[in-house]
Amino acid sequence: MNKGYQSLFKEGKDLNKKSSVERSARTIEEINEKIRNGDVQVLSVSEMKELVESSGVQVAFKDVDVITTGTFGAMCSSGAVINIGHADPPIKIEKAWINDVPVSHPGAAVDLYIGATQMSETQPFEYGGGHVIEDLIKGKEVELRATAYGTDCYPRTKLEVTLTKDDLNQFQMLNFRNGYQRYACATNGRDETIYTYMGKLLPKYRNSTYSGSGELNPLSNDPDYETIGLGTRIFLNGGVGYVIGEGTQHSPGNGFGTIMVKGDAKAMDPKFIRGATFTNYGTTLYNGIGIPIPILNEGIVHKVAVRDEDIYTNIVDYGVPRRDRPTLGTVNYKTLKSGRVTIDDRSVKVSSVSSLKKAYAISETLKEWIAEGRFYLTAPIERQPTDSVANPMRKPKGLAFVEDVVHDAVTCTEDEEIEEVARRLINRNINHLVVVDAEGKLSGIVTSWDVTKSIANGKGALSDFIVREVHSASLNEPLETALRRMTEHNISALPVTDGEGRVTGIVTSEDISKLLGGGRFG
Amino acid sequence: MAASVRVILRFSKENVDRPITSQVILEQGTPVNILSARMNQQGGEILVEIDADHVEGVIKAFRERGVTVDVRRLIEKDDDKCVDCGACVSICPMDALTFDDDHSVILLEDRCNGVTCGLCVDTCPQRAIRLIG
Ligand code: SF4
Ligand code: SF4
Repeated sequence: MNKGYQSLFKEGKDLNKKSSVERSARTIEEINEKIRNGDVQVLSVSEMKELVESSGVQVAFKDVDVITTGTFGAMCSSGAVINIGHADPPIKIEKAWINDVPVSHPGAAVDLYIGATQMSETQPFEYGGGHVIEDLIKGKEVELRATAYGTDCYPRTKLEVTLTKDDLNQFQMLNFRNGYQRYACATNGRDETIYTYMGKLLPKYRNSTYSGSGELNPLSNDPDYETIGLGTRIFLNGGVGYVIGEGTQHSPGNGFGTIMVKGDAKAMDPKFIRGATFTNYGTTLYNGIGIPIPILNEGIVHKVAVRDEDIYTNIVDYGVPRRDRPTLGTVNYKTLKSGRVTIDDRSVKVSSVSSLKKAYAISETLKEWIAEGRFYLTAPIERQPTDSVANPMRKPKGLAFVEDVVHDAVTCTEDEEIEEVARRLINRNINHLVVVDAEGKLSGIVTSWDVTKSIANGKGALSDFIVREVHSASLNEPLETALRRMTEHNISALPVTDGEGRVTGIVTSEDISKLLGGGRFG
Repeated sequence: MAASVRVILRFSKENVDRPITSQVILEQGTPVNILSARMNQQGGEILVEIDADHVEGVIKAFRERGVTVDVRRLIEKDDDKCVDCGACVSICPMDALTFDDDHSVILLEDRCNGVTCGLCVDTCPQRAIRLIG
């Protein structure tokens, strides 16, 4: 790798001047000059990889000035800042909605931010901020509603107006986190289907999904951020945009780099930006990003030669609703793109939730722009961190897991006399007895109500009214999911079991609501 | 094209001679497009396509005239909405939704027809897949 160029970069020296140390280097100025003259050598990133493989690094460096990358996928931390101009009389907007989607108001009177994941209040989970942005870009009319408390300088308290993008003073995409270098491959070990931002995941590892374009991804081709940083001009959703720094959760230290971007949405192309909705998760926005990588030195050629088989990610069980989900293995993008991965020694179908076809189209389009002299390169004016890692949150206040509220379960066995069981319920002042077998494994549950009924009727053995299809919880499960299960099945307690099905305790909805201060989850 | 529904009409010996299909077309004011037919004096089956907006009225009209109606469930993918993401591909147990050589996601109807489990419908982030029938 060519360290010379990189260290120059770090010292913040003029990047565009050839230094004596760096004889075999090319500058961005030289490349732009060639773009102007119409003789720039530009390849798509896939063509470049083939060239390096067939002709070697030196030839590729000599023959190619710039390559184009591409990615197209769901990027939730996206949105657009709009300025809608002042009404007469003017309003200082307090709350606003576009097509019934709340658009927040972080600044002054008529600046709004349309967040991709905000959902319509009338069509939640189907229409959201991402769709509003798409509709505006398509030139559609949208309905804006706003309310305000009214001030001396802004007397208006209500506003209803129809708008198109032409009515907006500014319509700027402003995405906090885009272009993830790579992402985990998601699967689901639970015995029920789950709906996630990685799509629908069938029970028991019956399918899996991944995201990202692998070897086409911009950041995978410039992992040391030699050319991508604040000020890099990029293809953004069919228009021109800029990298404005590291994205939130930028984690290049473990291969999960991100970028923050902006761009004029008025000039974007609906072919490369789409509102989207993930069932039971919510709405989001598919963005298309293409970044040119100038081939400034041979080191960069080595890096852009990276192939799908070199880019690894983890297979992660999204069935476990925790921050640190269990990893079931590692896999490279070549395998992911093949359509099958191995999970638990089984071959499982895998498909993307981002679009490889669009990623190719983006890298091709950007290539054309450069070849036709419609797009010039910029050098970053500040580099992104290359080794930082995103930290998890501090432990939040309050109780979060079943283990925080679990208490000992009072148990019985199936062969016990009913009177004995009734006495235990009364003495311990409880409503549930957990039935266990000889090994202490869960075999059913008995409620005080059933026991009372049977004693009042003067008949029945214990085994007649044991509920045998019991829902249970595990110690490390979030309280919310345990509570959701109770509500779903209209039950008030869950025995807690370990991995082998042995009873280790019980949680009741009463305990949870008492500890949580009631109401919040009701 | 407006969405359409495929329906199998079964005629018996008693009603096979009557001009039921044309009666229904006139009464409902919508075309009933015959895709295939297998008929003789003893009765028979025809496979027809009906405009989705009129399907309820048409089915009722046939049933009132003693025709047995089976609705064929069908999957339809709107290629204008589809962004070829592939979220539906790993879900499909029949490999009916699959990647083409140019990375497009295509629906191979033959593999889906008859199974038509519907699993793919709510996986699509673009709502490009519909279950008809
Ligand atoms: S309905 Fe079922 S079989 Fe048919 S395409 Fe969808 S997932 Fe595949
Ligand atoms: S999930 Fe929808 S958008 Fe994605 S490939 Fe399938 S049909 Fe197309």
